Amino acid sequence: MTRASLDLTINGETHQLMVEPHWSLLQVLRGELGMTGTKENCLEAECGVCTVLLDGKAVNSCILLAEQARGRSIVTIEGLGDPEHLHPLQAAFIEHGAVQCGYCIPGMILTAKSFLDERHGRVPNEAEVREALSGTLCRCTGYQKIVDAVIAAARQMNSWPEQARRSS
Amino acid sequence: MSGQQRRVAGKRLKRIDGIGKVTGKHVYASDFALPGMLFGKVLRSSEAHARIVRLDVSKAAALAGVRCVLTAKDIPQIRFGTAIKDRTMLAEGEVRFRGEAIAAVAATSLEVAEAAVRAIEIEYEPLPAVFDPEQALQPGAPLVHAGWSDYQALPVFDRDGNISGRSSMGSGDTAAGFAQSHRIYEHRFTTQHVHPGYTEPRTAIASWDGNGDVSVWSNTQLPFDMKNMLAEVLDLPANKVRVIVPGIGGGFGGKLRVGVEHFAAWLARKSKRPVKVMTTSEEELTDAYPRQPTVVTLKTGVSRDGLLLAREGKVILDCGAFANSGPATAAIALQVLAGPYRSPNLAFEGIAVYTNKGSTGSFRAPAGPMANFAVESQIDLIADDLGIDPLELRLRNVYREGDRGPAGETLTSISIEECLRKAAAAIGWTQRKPGAGRGKGIACSWWLTTGGSSGVYVKINPDGTVTVVSGAVELGSGAMTGAAQILAEELGVDLTDINATDVDTHVSPYDYGAQGSRTAFSVGNACIAAAKDLRRQIGELVAPLWNVAPDSVRLEGKGVVSGNKRMSLAEVAGLSQRTGGGLISHGTAIQPMPVFDPNRVKNHPLPAWTSHSFHAHAVDLSVDDVTGEVSINRYVVAQDVGFAINPTYIEGQIEGGVAQGIGQALSEEIVYDGGRVLNANLTDYKMPTMMDMPRVECILIEKPSVNGPYGAKGVGEPPCIQPPAAIANAIAVATGIRVQALPITAEKIALARLKDGD
Repeated sequence: MTRASLDLTINGETHQLMVEPHWSLLQVLRGELGMTGTKENCLEAECGVCTVLLDGKAVNSCILLAEQARGRSIVTIEGLGDPEHLHPLQAAFIEHGAVQCGYCIPGMILTAKSFLDERHGRVPNEAEVREALSGTLCRCTGYQKIVDAVIAAARQMNSWPEQARRSS
Repeated sequence: MSGQQRRVAGKRLKRIDGIGKVTGKHVYASDFALPGMLFGKVLRSSEAHARIVRLDVSKAAALAGVRCVLTAKDIPQIRFGTAIKDRTMLAEGEVRFRGEAIAAVAATSLEVAEAAVRAIEIEYEPLPAVFDPEQALQPGAPLVHAGWSDYQALPVFDRDGNISGRSSMGSGDTAAGFAQSHRIYEHRFTTQHVHPGYTEPRTAIASWDGNGDVSVWSNTQLPFDMKNMLAEVLDLPANKVRVIVPGIGGGFGGKLRVGVEHFAAWLARKSKRPVKVMTTSEEELTDAYPRQPTVVTLKTGVSRDGLLLAREGKVILDCGAFANSGPATAAIALQVLAGPYRSPNLAFEGIAVYTNKGSTGSFRAPAGPMANFAVESQIDLIADDLGIDPLELRLRNVYREGDRGPAGETLTSISIEECLRKAAAAIGWTQRKPGAGRGKGIACSWWLTTGGSSGVYVKINPDGTVTVVSGAVELGSGAMTGAAQILAEELGVDLTDINATDVDTHVSPYDYGAQGSRTAFSVGNACIAAAKDLRRQIGELVAPLWNVAPDSVRLEGKGVVSGNKRMSLAEVAGLSQRTGGGLISHGTAIQPMPVFDPNRVKNHPLPAWTSHSFHAHAVDLSVDDVTGEVSINRYVVAQDVGFAINPTYIEGQIEGGVAQGIGQALSEEIVYDGGRVLNANLTDYKMPTMMDMPRVECILIEKPSVNGPYGAKGVGEPPCIQPPAAIANAIAVATGIRVQALPITAEKIALARLKDGD
C-alpha cells in the first residue's frame, strides 16, 4: 500500500499524517496519534464506543475513512474538557453515577453533545434522549443514570447564552 | 452498627476513578501499547469436530512483516483448565469446536497478521460431532474428548465420558414426600447461550525481559489466577510471570480465565518482541466464556394449601467443548433450585456436559438465571393450578430466620418476605392484569457473597492522603470506591483523600479477584483490618509523646486525637517516616465457611453459601397483540444489600444487571446451527439498547449480614437472576401464553398464539 499525506484538524490542532487510503479514522486516532480516548470494539458501527464529532455531528469513526475527514473539524473526548475544566456533560455523568467501567462513556458523551447542540438549548425529555443515544451500547448501567445525566447537563447548558454553548 | 452515624460509608459519593473515565484519560488494556509491539491474530477451526490432516504455514510465514507463526508443534502441549485440564492453547491433531484456535501469528501490523492467517493452508477430516447436551448423554454418543479419563481434574467432580461433572444435593425422602402430596407437577425449561457483552474486547499485551520473565498487561478480572494459569501454559515458575491490569472495560464474569493472554505471551516469547492480541466481535461470540445453555426439569409435590412437600430437579448444562467452570456452575444451580424455599424433601442433580460447541464460563451469577427461570416459572404454574395468588404461594414457602439451607446450614439474616412484599406493593400487585395484553409478574431468589481471601496494603502519606494497594481490580461496579469509602470512614478522612492503585501481581497483595459479588465486601473487610492496625501503630507512636494510653487515641477529622491533644494525620505520617519507616499496614479478610451437613451434598465444590442475600423483582409489561412484542412498563427490584455502602452504585449494579437479565429474557441468544454460530456480530446478537430499557425502580433493603463490612452483602450478581422468570410470569398473565424456553422473543409469542388458534 502507498501512504498519502493527510492533514487532519483534531480538537483544533492540525496533524500532518501519512496514511494508507483504506485506514479508518479510528485506526488513525488510536494507532497513529495515540489518542486512545476514542474506544475500539465492534468495528462495524453497532456499539458506538468509537464515536467522535465530525463538524459537530456524532459519527462512528470505525467506519469512516480517515480521508473522509480531510478538511473537516474532528472533536474527540480529549478535546471536550480536561480534568480541571470538565464539560457539563462530563461533570453530570460523574455526578449522576452514570459511569461504571467507562468504556462506552466517551462515545456516549460525544453523542449526547451532538444531540444537545442540535437542539440549541432545548432541554430534551427522557424518550428523546433514549432515542438519540440508542446507537451506543452500555452493558454496565442499564442506561438510566446516563439518561438522567444528559437531561441534567442539558438543563445546565440551557442557562448559558447560545455562543457559550456553541464554543463549549 | 446500622444505627451508627457515618460520614463516608453509606453516602452517595462520586466514584474515585470518574474523571479519568469521562475525559478519555483512563487507560484500558486495549489502549495499552509498547514500543516495537507486534499484533497477533489466531487461525480458528472451521469445523466442529475434525482431525487436522494437513497444516501448512509456509506461505503465511513468508509474508513480509510476519515475525512468528505458531502451531501446536512449536510449543509444548500443556493442558490447562479450571475444573479439568482439558484444553491446549492450540489444537493438536483434532479440533473440537468451530472457532477453536489452531495457529497464531504475530506481524508488524494487524492487516499483515490477518493476511497471514488467511494464507495458512489446512485440511480436515470430519469426525462425528454432538451438539445437543441431552444427545451427548446417550449411550454411543460421539465423545468430545476420547481421552477424557487421562485428564487431570479437581477430585471433587464426578466425571464420565461426555459428563464433565456431576453434583447432587438432597435431604429427606422425596418418594415419601410425593406420596403425601395433593398434586405433583412436572415441567421442563430450557435456557440459551448469552454473552457477557462487555464493551471492551479481551486484550493482552505481553513482553519478555532479559531475565526471561514475562509481563502481561491484560483486562482480566483475576490477575492472580491469570498469573498462575499463564505460568502453567508457559511452563514457567509463577514468579516469572507478572500480570498488570491497567483498566478494564467490563467483565461480568467473562474475563475470569485465559482468553488471549497465552497467545500474546507465546508469540512474544518466540518473536522476541512485545505482542498485542485483542479479540474481534466474531471471536467474542464464537470463542469466549458465555453463559451455558441448560435444560432444567422439575418435579414438585405440594399440599392442598400450596406447601412444597417434595422437590426433584435436574439441570443439564451444556459447557461446550471444554469444561471451564461448567461443572461448578451445574453444582451451584442446585442451590438456586432450592432457595429461597423451604422443602422437607429434596433431590437435585446437576450435570455438566461436553458438546462440540464453543467454550462457556461464569457470566454474572453463574447458574442463577437458568435455575431461577425454571423454579419461578413453575411456582406460578403451581399457583395458577391451585388457585392461589403467586405472591401468597411464595410467602407460604419462603425461608424464615433460623431455617436450614439445602446443605443443612443454619440460615440467618433472612429478608425474603420483606423483599417480596415491597416489590409487590411497588408494582401494584393487587391489579395483576390491569388491561388487555398487559400483566404483572414477580420472581424471587437468593444468592451468595463469594468467599476467598483479600489483602490490602494501606499507606498513610505525609500529605495526609491515603494509598490503598489491592489485588482486586475495579471492573466498573464501583466496588473499589465502596472499599475506599469504608477505609475513609475507618481512618477519619474523606473519600477524596484515598487513592487506589492498579493491580500488579508483583507488588499488589493477593486477592481472590473481582468475581462473585465479593469485591466491595471482601476488600472492604480487609480495609477495616488494615485501618485497625494503623490505629494501633499510630497509638503506639503518639501515646509516649502525649503521655496517654495508646488505646485512647482516635482518628477523626483527618487528625489523631486523645483528650485535648491533636495532631493532623499528615503530621503523624511525616513523624512516622522520620522515625519509623512510615505508616503502612497489611489488612486481610476471609469469610468463615458455614457449618453444613456433608451427607446432603455430593461432588459439590461450594456446598454451603456464605453471606447470602435475598431479592424480589416485579414487572409490569404489555404484549403487542399482533407482533407479540413485549414492552416493559415498569420494573421494580427489592434487594437486600445488608448495608448500602454507596446507594448510587448499588442502584447502578441493579439497573445494569436487570438490563442483562432483560436481554436474556427477551432478545439475546448466541444462535447455533449445529456447530456454527449464526449471529457472530453485534448486529444480530441483540443486547438491549437505551430504547429497550425501562426505568428500574430500586428498593434497597438493609438487613445486616454477620460478616460483611458494616453488615453489607454482595450486590453485583443478583440483579440479572430474576428478570427472565419475572418477565415470563408477566407474559403469561398478559397473554395466557407460558413460554418455557428462553429467550421469549416476539416470534415465540406470536407462534404460540397461532398454535392456540388465537
